[in-house]
Amino acid sequence: MNESKAAIRAWTRAQARLGLRMARPSIILGVISSLLAVAQIWCIANILGPALTTLLPVSGVASGNEPIWPFAGFAGFSMIRLAVNAASEISAATAGRAARRRLRGEVLSSIIGAGPAVLQQTHSGALAALAVDRIEALDGYFSRWAPASVLWVGAPACLFLSVLWVQPRAALILGLCGAAVPVAQAVFGIGAAVASRNQFLAMTRLQARFLDRIRGIATIVLSGRADEEASRLATAADDLRVRTMKILRVAFLSSASIDCAMIIALIAIALSDGKHALAAASDPDRQYLLKVVTDSLFALLVVPEFFAPFRGLALAYQDRALAQGAATEILALPEPQPEAESHPVRTVEAHGVTIAFEDVCFTWDASRGAALDHVSFVAPAGETTVLAGPSGAGKSTIMELLLGFIRPDSGRITFNGADMQAIVPDALARMTSWIGQRPVLFAGTLRENIMFARPDATEEEVSSALRSSSVDRFLADLPDGLETVIGEGGFGLSGGQAQRIAIARAYLKNAPILLLDEPTAYLDPVTEADVFESLKRLALKRTVILASHSTAVHMFNGRRVDLVHGRVAARQGAA
Amino acid sequence: MSESGAGSPEDRRRKNENADRAALLRIIEVWRPHAARLAVGLGLSLLAVLAGLALMSSAGLRFAGAALGVVVVTTASLRILGVSRVGLRYGERLFAHDAMFRALATLRVWFFRSLAEGAAAGLGFRKAGDLLSRLVSDVEVLDGLYLRILLPLAGACITFPVLLVVLSTVNPLLAVLVGVLFAASAFVAPLAAARLSRKEGGALNRAQARLRVGVLDLVTGMREIRAFGASRRMLDRIAQDNDALLRRQAQLSSFLAYVGAMSQFFTQAAIFLVLAAIAGVGFARIPVVQGIGALFLTLAAFESVSGLTRAGMLAGNMGAAARRVVGIAEKRTIATKPVTQATTMPADFDIRFENVDFRWQPDRPFVLQNFSLDILAGTRIALLGSSGAGKSTVAALLLKATFPQNGRITLGGVDIAALPDTWLRRKIAWLSQATHLFDDTIRNNLLLGAPQASEDALWRALDEAAVGDFVKSLPEQLDTWLGEGGVKVSGGQGRRIALARTLLSDAPILVLDEPATGLDAQTEQEFFRTLNAVASHRTVLLIAHRLTGVEKLDRIWRIAGGRATAATA
Repeated sequence: MNESKAAIRAWTRAQARLGLRMARPSIILGVISSLLAVAQIWCIANILGPALTTLLPVSGVASGNEPIWPFAGFAGFSMIRLAVNAASEISAATAGRAARRRLRGEVLSSIIGAGPAVLQQTHSGALAALAVDRIEALDGYFSRWAPASVLWVGAPACLFLSVLWVQPRAALILGLCGAAVPVAQAVFGIGAAVASRNQFLAMTRLQARFLDRIRGIATIVLSGRADEEASRLATAADDLRVRTMKILRVAFLSSASIDCAMIIALIAIALSDGKHALAAASDPDRQYLLKVVTDSLFALLVVPEFFAPFRGLALAYQDRALAQGAATEILALPEPQPEAESHPVRTVEAHGVTIAFEDVCFTWDASRGAALDHVSFVAPAGETTVLAGPSGAGKSTIMELLLGFIRPDSGRITFNGADMQAIVPDALARMTSWIGQRPVLFAGTLRENIMFARPDATEEEVSSALRSSSVDRFLADLPDGLETVIGEGGFGLSGGQAQRIAIARAYLKNAPILLLDEPTAYLDPVTEADVFESLKRLALKRTVILASHSTAVHMFNGRRVDLVHGRVAARQGAA
Repeated sequence: MSESGAGSPEDRRRKNENADRAALLRIIEVWRPHAARLAVGLGLSLLAVLAGLALMSSAGLRFAGAALGVVVVTTASLRILGVSRVGLRYGERLFAHDAMFRALATLRVWFFRSLAEGAAAGLGFRKAGDLLSRLVSDVEVLDGLYLRILLPLAGACITFPVLLVVLSTVNPLLAVLVGVLFAASAFVAPLAAARLSRKEGGALNRAQARLRVGVLDLVTGMREIRAFGASRRMLDRIAQDNDALLRRQAQLSSFLAYVGAMSQFFTQAAIFLVLAAIAGVGFARIPVVQGIGALFLTLAAFESVSGLTRAGMLAGNMGAAARRVVGIAEKRTIATKPVTQATTMPADFDIRFENVDFRWQPDRPFVLQNFSLDILAGTRIALLGSSGAGKSTVAALLLKATFPQNGRITLGGVDIAALPDTWLRRKIAWLSQATHLFDDTIRNNLLLGAPQASEDALWRALDEAAVGDFVKSLPEQLDTWLGEGGVKVSGGQGRRIALARTLLSDAPILVLDEPATGLDAQTEQEFFRTLNAVASHRTVLLIAHRLTGVEKLDRIWRIAGGRATAATA
């Protein structure tokens, strides 16, 4: 637990570093914007100062004779500042997007690297939510929190220095009030920060609970428990409100302290500078009075600018908390497997492949025993080998090994004598076709789904695959023929039709090895016989490994390996 | 997609806009019990805004007056304003948050109840994952309605007249010009942002949905992808979708930056005008002390509405979110024929489907046609069929998640249409792959089936489902927190916990709809062996596409062409 907390902290720290690097332009622009604010305020002070002093009974400056430069300066600096602010916002958003693109890429690669095993731990919907929504929610961390975490020191520092230069007394007040902010945050905050972090957790949990109840609402309604659950939701929300308010009472003190510091600074500067201005008014030197008034006005007008970044930081704080939540989930993804390539990489001839298992052992989970226990068999080139046996005997494990998702714990698998581990993954993929229990139809047209097997296939090759797989038999029933959109949210196909599409893919790919993993498990017997007929034609002249416990496999007369509890119990046809 | 409507795009847009507004009003109506609190919160927030305006302009006046040797604002009144500004702001935050929490709780419970009474039952039988996660994020979007939109908007509405009145005492022309700029900054720019986000919202949602589908394809199709060496291709495709989404967001964020810049421009222009008036450039020179007060007021007023552009952006999304939430919450499934409610409940639990015709939608083919099936109480029946043959429809009809177009279904001789939903559903325990494990403790997950169950009963049910030992091995036992969707336990254990919940209920009928889908073969068999040993005196209806061979059954039916025929194992 502690270890994972440390991991989360390390991850967030690494992200923060990256985030800061990306936020640099936006931070620099933010500081420039502060400097421009200084210039602007200086112009305003230089308009107001003369205006005020001209009103004095003994006027030293002729009325209506005010310099024009502050107006031009104000307008000019305003325009530049608008542009700088917009640029800063756009560059912060760019940093947020870049970070999301990077994180999404990392998450997807580790999902792909982990293979189907990742689905045993996490539901596919949850993975999609992580890759899409959770990462989307991290935007604020990179686009708001990262710049705010620097600017809250940087921007007030610039303003402070400028006031110090112009009006040291006001700078002292501003500095004291500004320094009081972190102190007040610490006094009210130490308790409140811990509590509010817990509170944030409690709140997210309640939120999650509600959302989770909505996701599972059918389960609740179908158990006839909707009323109870509704009142339980209400009670939980009310409890949380009471607890939250207790904490907010303290937590808001820390934001009130920012308000308070600002107001004290404002009033203190107004009062003390007012007194000085009054004293200066009796001074015969009009220029001195003008300077005092102008400088004081400058200091007074800087106050709201000075405190704005503190508020920005407080607002961005929850973005940081969100990032920690996401870290937990991203870290829960398995590390991508390191490529253990000690053997020289090689390819194998692309026709007539003999596959041999030599003393292969594999264990998924030590508590459940070995899934494969010293399994050896040979699947000769161009013939069909049936893996038979009850469910759980190890057939699926053999398929996962042949697809390269897992590696033998001991023993080896050879393709024409070459160790499978030594073959380039691309070459391996070129050699094999695979048809599983329920083919996944990707969102897209039927044509795209078939050409998925070979994107560069010609029109003739596609139509020949359609004929051989009997897809053409139901093509006419589809609303747009080959261009019908299928997959998620598309036209619903029956299990048999989907399996024919998988067969069409295999025809199109025309690979020498064909792996069939219970291809008819989800079909009714009539369709099953029909699909097997097509598979038999597909199997001609290929090395086929067929895992099935269906009685219909007797249609494939070939070699047969009987598996029981991960061991080879019997071989027929000299496998 | 569902937004089909006759007429030009312009008409449709207007219609949608009206629907959005109606939905927002409907939600505000749900908040009526909290009207007083919300109003007080609003009042406090307005007072805080006023105190802020007064403080800023007094501070300016005070200094200006001091320079001239006159006391325009006393120190005491400054202090009072300062203290009340801080106090009011604090009180407002506290009060408004309290009111908002109450309002949110009410909104959520209202939504939950409406959904439960309406469309929810059917969601268990449809692929509703996307719909639900969309709804969930819609409800989240609505969270900000009061705090982030209504309060600041009301603040702007009160600031506007104050600004106008104060400035008009100084110089009417100045008041009009600054007023126009304020309105542009506080109302026009946010409105533009709202318009745009509404317009872009649809496209943005679609881009995000595309990305989600791509990721789901990648995750579920990993074997295909590996076998066809398509990892690179799939990742590229997702990267394209991702780029498309990011491009849209980039457009939106730069537009937002420009709108923000425009709103800042209005602020600067207003300040410029006030300065000009003070210096007497282009305006009749205004008294400088008042001028400085006006300047500080203008600064504070524009500052208080600077966040409204972003709020407008949110508001644009909120309308559509409200429309979808209200639309779903108020959807009702309607029985085709009115039936008088039964007064006496049936005494036995024989189930009988009599010549049932059913289709999900009028334009789809019939799923069940002249379908009849008898299930005697206490028997164990399997209903087999290929996907799409209508197996799950049978369960949906039995649970009154939907209603037959013709024929009837009886329980103990009484038409189920005449039985109260809740009563009926408590007699039927339903377990399917869609059965949800809640992000809660194991105990609370189990208690959903039988809220009054004792500790012993919980353990007995877990033992019967062959998961008792596993739960005992967990450090927190029954109080172990299951992750979202039960992700902290393996698929098999999760399914067993769901089975334990089903067994815990004293329902005389168990409906098991493909209960082992997604489990590996070994776990699946163990699961069915467990099932054989339990539920000996209850009716069991097992729905599956095939049998594993270990199930103990009294009869097997096969469903094809909309009818059930007797079959042998």
